[in-house]
Amino acid sequence: MKRYVIRRLLLAIPLLFAISFICFMFINLIPSNPAEVALRVQQMPVITEEAIAEMEEMLGLNKPFFVRYLDWLVGCLQGDFGISYVNPARTVAGEILRSLPATLQLAGASFIIVIVLSIPIGFLCAVYKDGWFDRIMRSAVFVTTAMPPYWVGLLLMWAIGVTLGWLPTNGNGTWQHLILPAFTVGLSYISTYIRLIRNNMLENMKQDYVLYANVRGLPQKSIWVKHVLKNSMHTCIVAMGMSIPQLISGTIVVENVFSWPGLGTLCISSIFNRDYPVIQTYVLLIGVLFVVFNLLFDILQTVSDPRLRKED
Amino acid sequence: MSKRFFQNKTAVFTTLIVLVVALIGILASVIAPNDPYETNIINKFAGCSMEYPLGTDQLGRCVLSRMIYGIRPTLGLAALTMVGTIGIGAVLGIMAGYFRGIVEEVIMRIVDVMLSFPSQIMVFAVVALLGVSVQNVIIANVFIKWAWYARMIRTGVMQYRDKNFVQFSRCVGMPERFILFRHLLPSITSDLAVLASLDIGWAIINISTLSFLGLGVQAPTPEWGAMLNEAKEVLTSNPTQMIAPGIAIVALVCCFNLMGDALRDVLDPKEVK
Repeated sequence: MKRYVIRRLLLAIPLLFAISFICFMFINLIPSNPAEVALRVQQMPVITEEAIAEMEEMLGLNKPFFVRYLDWLVGCLQGDFGISYVNPARTVAGEILRSLPATLQLAGASFIIVIVLSIPIGFLCAVYKDGWFDRIMRSAVFVTTAMPPYWVGLLLMWAIGVTLGWLPTNGNGTWQHLILPAFTVGLSYISTYIRLIRNNMLENMKQDYVLYANVRGLPQKSIWVKHVLKNSMHTCIVAMGMSIPQLISGTIVVENVFSWPGLGTLCISSIFNRDYPVIQTYVLLIGVLFVVFNLLFDILQTVSDPRLRKED
Repeated sequence: MSKRFFQNKTAVFTTLIVLVVALIGILASVIAPNDPYETNIINKFAGCSMEYPLGTDQLGRCVLSRMIYGIRPTLGLAALTMVGTIGIGAVLGIMAGYFRGIVEEVIMRIVDVMLSFPSQIMVFAVVALLGVSVQNVIIANVFIKWAWYARMIRTGVMQYRDKNFVQFSRCVGMPERFILFRHLLPSITSDLAVLASLDIGWAIINISTLSFLGLGVQAPTPEWGAMLNEAKEVLTSNPTQMIAPGIAIVALVCCFNLMGDALRDVLDPKEVK
């Protein structure tokens, strides 16, 4: 057990290095000189050789490649992600920190919506397999997986925000503002987990322990909840945990639809402004989050499931 | 195999729809009732009529014609993405699965790194790096997806590599190229077809999302995602603008998803219960 955890932890280290290296390469792969880009983004009227040299000095671009990588990596570890090209007075870390709470709020809210909706619906679908509820939900799930999230956002804005006037369509501040975007972010995950829970439960219902519980004469409801659902939740929790970074990165589109002032809006505006350090840091953060959450829930699964533990 | 295909109603039906949609896209200039670029500001937001079957948009352009011309970038770019993805994935996956050793190690470690990035973010990163344009959208989509195919194809190749018919070919001295392209590639084609038809829906959504955000196909060009972007601007005053392109995307993606499922049943009879 211990050996497994240590091995997983050690395996994650080269992966993290590779991710940071790709993110670092990213800014060096820009077809033009980053210093020139930075000057142009700041709308410097005349770009002279000296101005470029000065900018290179300021951005540390005149050092050898690996020295720059190490400097950058050390900086990142200390929370210094460089300065924004658009506004040199602002640090990238500051920009990210300013938008992070809104995104976390949105991702958190949609995570709650996903759990609250998908578990009961998945449960009911499995219990009443092939009944009317199951059939309706199955077609709903099928259609929602084909819906682009931004269109769902627009539809909700129109139907609930504009026509019915129940909820505000953009901006943030109160919990009412949160509902529509959070639901939009969560929708594709809701359908994924309904399917996952349903299939898991159906799989579990065929197991011997359910037969045994039936033989013992336990009430059907308690078999479903205490045995089948509990055992099915296991893989679902792991899958949900691993999808948290995806939820955070999934906000990028929805934030733009609802003008939510989070990381996604920051990222898209940085793409239009060619503010490369911000994009670089964003990609790095999400990449690291991915590795960390995968690692965490992978280990959690192995620790909590005796069947997996034995195999090691 | 073709007999099983024609017996499967879903497979036939969805394939037909896709073919018809593709044909309409190809023949857009013949079928479309109006010029998709022709603006007529006096006649903006017109309702349905004989001349404009789906009405007009905020610049008075024919919505139906724009929808029909929109098939070209929507379906064409998605198809190009899939061709690129499968091409790169197949070459690297077969190399990794067949040659093993250091080649495999290097390729698979790169694949691992690629898979550890959230694909959605990588698309944006690549578009940001290369600049906003249609070809960069395809490059970005291929870049994030090839690793999945490489891994899947490697697994497929490893399954077949030691099968008797491959061993036999090797014994009688067939060249490696022959074994790769005549034995291994056909063996994994069915898996690939299923995966590709499921993923093309993903590609359609992805490309339209980029266009919607203004990072893909640019404004005057009729593309469904870009049309929705324009519809977003007039959401409160004319909400009906967003219905046609949205439904078209959902219908087409649903169709591809159904086709993928049906093809799996056709190509892999073991799965059918």
